[in-house]
Amino acid sequence: MMDQIVLLILAIVLFGVGLYALLGKRNVIKILMGIEIMTIAANLVFIALGTEFQTIGDETFIWFTEFALVFPLISLAVGAAVMALGLALVINNYRHAKSVDTDEMATLKR
Amino acid sequence: MSLIVWISIVMALAILAAVFAIESKNLMIAVISLIVMNFAIWIILLMFEATLLAWIQLIVYGGGLTALFVVVVSLTENQKDETFDWTRTTIALAVVAIIVSLLIWVVVDYGNIPIVGDPSTQFPASIWENRVTDIILQAVLFLATSIAIGVLFLQHKKKHKEVTKS
Repeated sequence: MMDQIVLLILAIVLFGVGLYALLGKRNVIKILMGIEIMTIAANLVFIALGTEFQTIGDETFIWFTEFALVFPLISLAVGAAVMALGLALVINNYRHAKSVDTDEMATLKR
Repeated sequence: MSLIVWISIVMALAILAAVFAIESKNLMIAVISLIVMNFAIWIILLMFEATLLAWIQLIVYGGGLTALFVVVVSLTENQKDETFDWTRTTIALAVVAIIVSLLIWVVVDYGNIPIVGDPSTQFPASIWENRVTDIILQAVLFLATSIAIGVLFLQHKKKHKEVTKS
């Protein structure tokens, strides 16, 4: 279906943006933003693959399989927990390293 | 205008907001861009009639996590600007371009995309079938993490003993 492809392409591009942040940025907060964008992209893929379009007469109805109903909710919960943990680690590391730059955080001993 | 045009406009807005969030120098503006992106995703999900998920996504990501981001940005202020690293950026962009173009080609070329999950099957049974691999992987990850934490704890205890002895 056309709409499914549109949603999948949006998810792929958002995943690419998140991956670029993960690979190309050194600021930990931006890396975490990239991870958030990648999680949203994964949720969009779940929805795109679990959406079923049915045309009855002139009207088009959208149905969701249990895959599209359950997996994004689990993913949202896990993603939120991961982000909260990541941000807590950033704060904790900032107190030691006085920086949010990954290159400056790389040294374990100070 | 038809629905597909509106969806395309909101999609473009979401992608632009995401890029702006990553590329913005000011972290507070980056957080605001993230909110805009979450709103765009919310509109897209509402267009696809995924109402519950749209609202949960907006509340959890657009609300809760954004608040956490604001707190973290305000606690880690007075940061010097990240210097632009040509080599790192070029390699990252090349990797991303290859992966994204390959995935888009696969999706467009595949044609009839399968629908995952069958509404006619029994609900709890089908969830279990879909989640077996996931749960096994989670169990392995949990065990590995537990062992790693245990080893770190023992090392820390040993080091602490040595320090108190000396």
